[in-house]
Order: sequence, then C-alpha cells, then structure tokens
Amino acid sequence: MSLAADAFVSQMAAAEPWPENATLYQPLKEDQILLSDCASSLAVQAYLRMCDLPVQVVCKANAEYMSPSGKIPFIHVGNQVVSELGPIVQFTKAKGHSLSDGLDDVQRAEMKAYMELVNNMLLTAELYIQWCDDATAAEISRPRYSSPYSWPLSNILAYQKQWEVRRKMNAIGWGGKTLEQVYEDVSQCCQALSQRLGTQPYFFNKQPTELDALVFGHLFTILTTRLTSTELAERIKSYSNLLSFCRRIEQSYFEGKSS
Amino acid sequence: MCEVMLDRRVLMTYSSILPHAELDLTQSPQETGGAQRASEFYLQCEERREFLFRRKGHFRLKMAAPITLFCWRDWVYRPVSTTAWCSGESVHAGSGPGSPDVVRVIHTQRRGHPPATAQRAAGRFYEPVSDRWRFTCSIIMEDEHLSQKYNADYDLSAKEGADSLAFISLMEEKLVPALIYTFWIEPKNYVDVTRRWYAEHMPFPLNFFLPGRMQRQQLEKLRLLRGDESLEAGEELEKELYRDAAECMNLLSQRLGSHKFFFGDSPSSLDAYVFGQLAPILKSKLPNGKLQQHLKSLDNLTNFCTNILLLYFPRDGRESSSQKTSSQPEGGDFDHVPNKRRKQFLSALVALGAMLSYALLTGMVSIQHVQQEALEEPPDLQPIGSHDHDEEGDG
Repeated sequence: MSLAADAFVSQMAAAEPWPENATLYQPLKEDQILLSDCASSLAVQAYLRMCDLPVQVVCKANAEYMSPSGKIPFIHVGNQVVSELGPIVQFTKAKGHSLSDGLDDVQRAEMKAYMELVNNMLLTAELYIQWCDDATAAEISRPRYSSPYSWPLSNILAYQKQWEVRRKMNAIGWGGKTLEQVYEDVSQCCQALSQRLGTQPYFFNKQPTELDALVFGHLFTILTTRLTSTELAERIKSYSNLLSFCRRIEQSYFEGKSS
Repeated sequence: MCEVMLDRRVLMTYSSILPHAELDLTQSPQETGGAQRASEFYLQCEERREFLFRRKGHFRLKMAAPITLFCWRDWVYRPVSTTAWCSGESVHAGSGPGSPDVVRVIHTQRRGHPPATAQRAAGRFYEPVSDRWRFTCSIIMEDEHLSQKYNADYDLSAKEGADSLAFISLMEEKLVPALIYTFWIEPKNYVDVTRRWYAEHMPFPLNFFLPGRMQRQQLEKLRLLRGDESLEAGEELEKELYRDAAECMNLLSQRLGSHKFFFGDSPSSLDAYVFGQLAPILKSKLPNGKLQQHLKSLDNLTNFCTNILLLYFPRDGRESSSQKTSSQPEGGDFDHVPNKRRKQFLSALVALGAMLSYALLTGMVSIQHVQQEALEEPPDLQPIGSHDHDEEGDG
C-alpha cells in the first residue's frame, strides 16, 4: 500500500472497534487452495485467534482476484479490505490489538528479521515446489488451481500463473536451483528457527507473537499437506521442538476445530 | 564435474569446464568436520574463452601455493570478504582477522569488467606464473549461500547463526530493492553515477548499450520483486522503498548497538554482507542521496562501515580519503564554471575568426582604403590610381 493509503487506513481503522462479522477469504479449501496460500491463510487465522479477534473463514473460488494486492488471504473488516499478514498486523495494531508491544527494540528487530526469513525461505520454497517442480505442477498445482474453471480457461490460467511464478523465481535467483537444494534451504531455515526457539514455548517470552503465527502457519501446512513426495515433511519432522511448537499452538488456539 | 586441484602440478581438466557447469571440488570431511560449501564464484577461464560459470560445491584445493584473486574494485559490486585464506587443505572465504596471509588479493581496476558482461570480455585475465594458475574471480556472497558455514562463522553460536540468516533475509527483502532503485532506476543517479561507472570500464562499443541493458534487467527485477508489473520510477515508489530501507537500517542499527561487529569482537559473514550492502551507499557520490543521508544519521552503522574499510581495505581507505581531498575543489557545479567559460570564450573566438577569414577570402567583406588614397594622389594619376584601386578591391 502506498504511504497515503496506509495513513488513511490506519486512521479509519482506529475509529471503529473490531466488528463481529469480520470475514477472511481464501480459495476453496478442498479443491483449489494450494500449499503456499493455505500456509499464509493459516498464519493469519492463527494470528487473529491469538489476538482473540473473531473472524469467519469464507471460501471463494475467486478470492485471489478479490484481494487488493492479489495475494491470499485477505480480511474484510467493516468497510475495509486488507490482505497479507504484514498489513493485517498493522491494521489490528491501529485498532489497538497487538502481540508485540512487550518486546524491546532488539527483540522487535529480531522478530521482523525472522519473519522475513520465513517469507524469504519457506514461502519461496513452497512456491518453488508447487510451480517450478514439473511433477508437482502437473499433478497437483495446475489441476487444483484451475479446478473451478472450465476448459480452456483452466489451462490458460494455470499456465499463466506458473509462468508468473517461474519468472519471479528467476528474478530472485531461485530459478537455477534443483529440488534438492531447495530442500536443503528449507532444512536450514528450520534449523535456524529451531535454534532460535530452543526450549521456550514461544519465540519471545511466554507470549506468542506474529512470528509464532507465521511459523505455525507454514510448518503446520507443510506437515499436513499431501505432496508428490514426503521429503519436505520429513525434513521438518527432524526438528522435534518445532513439532511440539506446532502441536502446542494447535491445541491452544484451534481446539475443537478440524484444521 | 571436473576437479580443480591447484597444486604444483596444476591439473585442470579444461575439457569439462563448460559454462554453467558445476565444479564439484569435494573436500575431505575430516578437516572441518562436515561438508563446507563455498560461496558462489564466477570464474573466467580465458584459455578456452569459456566464460562465466558458477562454481558451487565443495572445495578441495590441495595446494601449497596461494591463489590470487582478482576482484572488481568498484563500489558497484559487493566488495565483501575479499580475503580468502587457506587453512590446511581447504579454502574458505571469510574475513577472519587472524587468517594466515596465504592468498593475495589483487584489485584490478584496469580489467574491471562487471560479471554480467564478462561473457563478452576479451583480454587475458590469467597468466601462468611458474606453475600456478591465476583466476579472475569475484567473490560475490549470495545470500542463499551465506548460510553455509564459513570459518569466519565458527565462533558463532547456533542462535547467532540463525540470527545471521534472519537478518540477511531482512536485508534482502527490504534493503536490496531500495538499492536497486537508488543505483539503477532513479534517473539522476543512474545517469550521473552508475552508467558512467560502467561505461568507463567497458570497451568500445559495448559501453553504449550494455549499461542500458543492465538497467532494463534491474527494472525488471524490481518489478518482479515488488509484484507490480507497471512499476515506474517516481516519487511514490521512491518514498515506499526508502521507507522500507530506512526501517531496515534502523533495525540493523538497533541490533548492532554499540558493538564493534554484530556478534562480538570478530567479524562474521553477516558483517560482511551488511558491509557489502551499506558501503556503496555510504561511499558513492550520489546526486540524490536520501538513503545516504539516512545512513549517515545512524552513527553506529557509519562507524561500522568505516571501521571495516580501514581494517580490511586499507588501500581503498587511503585512496578514498585522498580522492575526497582532491575532488573537493571540483565539488559542486559552480567550480566548473571558470574552465567552462574560458572554453566557451575560446571556442566562440575561434568560430568568429574562422567566419571572418572565410568572409575575407571569398570577398564578401573587403577592406578598402579608398578615401585615403583619393586625398593623396593628384588628379592626373587617377587612371593609374583607379587601376590600383581595382586591384586592391580584388585582392
């Protein structure tokens, strides 16, 4: 969002309390949603639950096109629409709900850095595996992405998305990587997260922050999504404290709900 | 795969050095207790004119002789960790202060070809000296490979290693787009600084179109990074990018605090990376220097950069300070004016002189002393006088 829009939204946001009918939009859960989108969506849901803000999850086939930035998920609160975890965190902060107020400057710097790490490595790896790996793209990503549409639109949209993602991968230097290297990168990222987490219940103090929500979203989705190979899930399972972290958050915040 | 063994017998299987091949130089794991991967290298092999290929993988350099690294010296690249040292039988790149000085780093300005154009670079970059090869390579620390453990990072705890990764990701996300914008997209900076740098170092006729091409590539990259296909240089984009970059620099400054390096008293790969990103901003003379101003306002980061410069780039440090003093009289547009005026005056004079002489020679303008001679001569000599007059008129 541009600066002016940011300031405007913050002002508007501060004016009203959180309504009861806030909704979160994502693609169809059973047929359409892909790994990376599911992870982002779960991260936002976890964050909102941690903030104790009620939100309904609505699945729409064209959620991606409704979103203001083109990314999933987005929330519709009052008369505003905000997408992606970063802006949503700022939005809720403007409404007076924040999880990272108790952190000092150094910790906040670290939190932001680790969030970027997850975005940079885990999210990019997920996108790579979905769209740049031919087997996965053909078997899973393209059929799922284009499932709500009929031929020939389905083909066109699927290939267009694939081409877009591949261009982005090339631009950031992931185009030349092999799948093995991507798995390595994921391992390293998980190792870094695992080392940072150590034996604590959450990443900072005893309270969860947006970093916890983000990490949970990604790791849980990877662990529970079926892909062409289980390599990725295996790599994450080798870090036991991350596993228990995911379980803990699932039990605390998603109890009674099948996720 | 090919093996590169730089030892007295210098075996290099050229036949398998192809562009974009991967050299697997496996390292014997006993030395360092685990596979260590080196940073990404761009190697040029002049002999076969096989140009850029990435050398990743493990290193095995069975060498007793040092390797010489030529590095591109300009601030355009990330001048990071140009000290590599050999310990035992393996080479690691890093900036450890206690490293044995086994590798000499030679900065070449004369042969400064940026990596993107090295494919078309001609000229001999290597010369066998006794039985050592010299490679031209530039150690560019790509962030994804920084996660490999280097000797410089041996002292880091696990948490600090994780922090390194995280901060590198942060910089990659927030700072790098702003840097791309500052150096390549911002019109004034690009024309005055970046394009001139590259054009000066490229041979004719590449200097006409290659910088433009690189600029288009960078714009494309920025568009893809931001996810916005219709990105153009402008005030709003600049504000957004600089806001992110300023935030990132503030975060780095908070993390650095008052320490000398990010993790204790000895530098690590994170220090090298941060230095590589920040030093060009600090040192380049950019017309539009908003990022520079912000960086200068963060004292600890500025001191961090100058400290590393003095410690590891002493020659550059001295040169840049002497450059500063010599360029000060020239600094500012007004100082150029006297020379410019004089040149303009001289050229105007020359033009005027040329026009006058042309006019005189072709007879458009003639100098006539008619009136004087009419007074001096007696009337009966007039026919002869008029004949003279005619001659003078034509002459």
